[in-house]
Amino acid sequence: MTGSGAVASGSTAPTSAVLEEFSYDDAIVRKFLFATILWGIVGMLVGLLIALQLANPKFNFGIPWLSFGRLRPLHTNAVIFAFAGNAFFTGCYYSTQRLLKARMFSDVLSKIHFWGWQLIIVAAAITLPLGFTQAKEYAELEWPIDIMIAIVWVVFAVNFVGTMVKRRERHLYVAIWFYIASIVTVAILHIFNNLSIPAGAFKSYSIYAGVQDAFMQWWYGHNAVAFFLTTPFLGLMYYFMPKAAEGPVFSYRLSILHFWSLVFLYIWAGPHHLHYTALPEWASTVGMIFSVMLWAPSWGGMVNGLLTLRGAWHKVVDDPILKFFVVGITAYGMSTFEGPLLSIKSVNAVAHYTDWIIAHVHTGALGWNGFITFGMIYWLAPRLFQAPLFSKKLAGVHFWIGTFGILLYVVSIYSAGVTQGLMWRAFDETGRLSYPDFVETVVKLLPMYWMRVAGGSLYISGMVLFAYNIIKTWQARPAAYEVPVVRAAGLSRSYVAVPEPKPAGEGIFGWISAMRYHRAWERMPLLFTVLVVVAVGVASLFEILPTFLIRSNVPSIASVKPYTPLELYGRDMYIREGCFNCHSQMIRPFRYETERYGEYSKPGESVYDHPFLWGSRRIGPDLAREGGKFPNLWHVRHFANPQEVTPRSIMPSYAQFATTPIPWEVIPKRIDVMAMLGVPYGDAVNNGVAMAKAQAVLVAADIAKSGGPAGLEEKEIVAIVAYIQRLGQDIKANAGGPK
Amino acid sequence: MKLSDIMANAGLSIYAEVALVLFLAAFVGITWWVFRSANSARWRSAAMMPLDDVHPQQPRTGEK
Repeated sequence: MTGSGAVASGSTAPTSAVLEEFSYDDAIVRKFLFATILWGIVGMLVGLLIALQLANPKFNFGIPWLSFGRLRPLHTNAVIFAFAGNAFFTGCYYSTQRLLKARMFSDVLSKIHFWGWQLIIVAAAITLPLGFTQAKEYAELEWPIDIMIAIVWVVFAVNFVGTMVKRRERHLYVAIWFYIASIVTVAILHIFNNLSIPAGAFKSYSIYAGVQDAFMQWWYGHNAVAFFLTTPFLGLMYYFMPKAAEGPVFSYRLSILHFWSLVFLYIWAGPHHLHYTALPEWASTVGMIFSVMLWAPSWGGMVNGLLTLRGAWHKVVDDPILKFFVVGITAYGMSTFEGPLLSIKSVNAVAHYTDWIIAHVHTGALGWNGFITFGMIYWLAPRLFQAPLFSKKLAGVHFWIGTFGILLYVVSIYSAGVTQGLMWRAFDETGRLSYPDFVETVVKLLPMYWMRVAGGSLYISGMVLFAYNIIKTWQARPAAYEVPVVRAAGLSRSYVAVPEPKPAGEGIFGWISAMRYHRAWERMPLLFTVLVVVAVGVASLFEILPTFLIRSNVPSIASVKPYTPLELYGRDMYIREGCFNCHSQMIRPFRYETERYGEYSKPGESVYDHPFLWGSRRIGPDLAREGGKFPNLWHVRHFANPQEVTPRSIMPSYAQFATTPIPWEVIPKRIDVMAMLGVPYGDAVNNGVAMAKAQAVLVAADIAKSGGPAGLEEKEIVAIVAYIQRLGQDIKANAGGPK
Repeated sequence: MKLSDIMANAGLSIYAEVALVLFLAAFVGITWWVFRSANSARWRSAAMMPLDDVHPQQPRTGEK
């Protein structure tokens, strides 16, 4: 316990309560606040760069580590884990101490958490552009960084639970519940989705394959949205909204229902990311139903947040903080209205793989996470820096250009999504695809991509004003911060609850309705935490285990064989370059998909795919059946200069493939790991390099023979071409389909 | 016989309904408890927690 002494007091409490003296640790809050602003600017600038790359591929600059496929994960990781993560920690460290009337359990753990988290972000910013990735969205970071995340997260959890144990407030306020749920669920999600076997210092293969890997990934992916971007920020809302509105939350009852409903429902919603894929249909349906049910608690929560302003609406007019909160909570309402809508299969059929999803995400991220963060920090800054906010007017300007930026961004990208979704499925009067050429459906979007660049630039300009305003406020701080001493009675272990008046007619129903046991739970943070884990764990197991344990969920196909050693290396290149960020490998069972790409994808086709590469967005065409569609030379030319082959393509050039040598020595270890995971590699385990070289010679000879450059047999281009040519070939050989 | 065969033949599907009933009961129980008028005083005091940085709303003595 830091800075605590004890003085006897007889004034406030009639019992022999002892008042303890302590102070809140605001230094750590200030650190997280600055990190939030710094990483916010960095993450958003990367976002702006990749937005430019989609509008014009020249912005890839021909530099591999600046290409879209490598930077897109950097953008998502930076804004989710660095910007929103640090924002959550800022508010969490500030509010937890005050809600529990206790300083953080350990200043040392707080500092390890802060510096550890920043180190992870720096590690991510270095490794992602270098192409070290696990190819799972929002879980791209490779295994050494995953271990660091797990350690730092445990440090945070220990610090948080320690603070709860030494708290001086008996009841845990609902914001604390949201924090607990976020902390434990993120830990579970992170560990189980990232289970993998290393095949090098920064290379690993997921222990799951195909359908199961996809299922784990989107169980993780959706709940990363739920428990990293939603529940932590709801905790912040339930603390900072009453603070800013200077009145209690509209309905505390509703907040409890909001909490338990989200904990019970959210964890099931993941499979809606996999509608019409090779995932078993029952799982997809379960995901849809639970997502639709989320409408109720989400809107209950939104209403609860907004109505906290009851009787104080006039304050919104001249308080930029309340403006940010009102628009932020409204954005929560809009994106949680849209989320369930998108999870309905027939809506999802249009929206999946399009920009509609990107627009949806940005309504939530820019509106909800961004604006709650801005409102919170404008509120915190004068209190943390003990100086008035530098300029309220500037904060107002920030609000308006931020809001206008969001509108410009999402309106253009919604239009882009709907446009492309409809173009993909359009047939002409003769029954043929209206836009058989994929690139036509991309070029159509370019004006909207430029509008997005404009909207994003506005939002970032607001972010810069924000940073300026906060730094100016910080500069006006006193020479030394005043640290107020707080006095409160500690919680006593020997505390005996005052018996409550017995309700009339107490019987078994009276006992149930009194729910004394639940009142005890809230006072026992560890038990409470366990109950949240049970709710989340049971749901996860019921949903995910059947695909692992019940054979009929993933029928195998006899003709599907593992990738050859050369193809495996080519696949690792595909992962390294982030090709899955723009190309799916999952053809849905619709006529407009099978006409365009070929036979729909079967679960048995990806049983050796560690990790799965189904993708979630088609900025370029699906590649599940790309094998054999074009000659090898076409691919060589296309990688060197995509615009030469497809004039209006927005794909970056990968000319370096033709000059980079294949590092043959990495192949045996990779095959070993694959074999360890149960992929039947047979002879290749001992013979991998020789087999790879033999195949490379054949591919290179074919390229030379058809008039392409000679002498490519040692270069990476032959591996990626071999991999692409293999895609989707296994079941053409077996016209009978699944056995 | 593989684990997946055993699981497939174990007749586990009934447990989905069991879970549904249990979870629904938990939800109904929580709702009932939340809206009981006997609890309204403590919700009022809990809701005030963010507004006072210094004084616990429900301190150890249980008087509040």
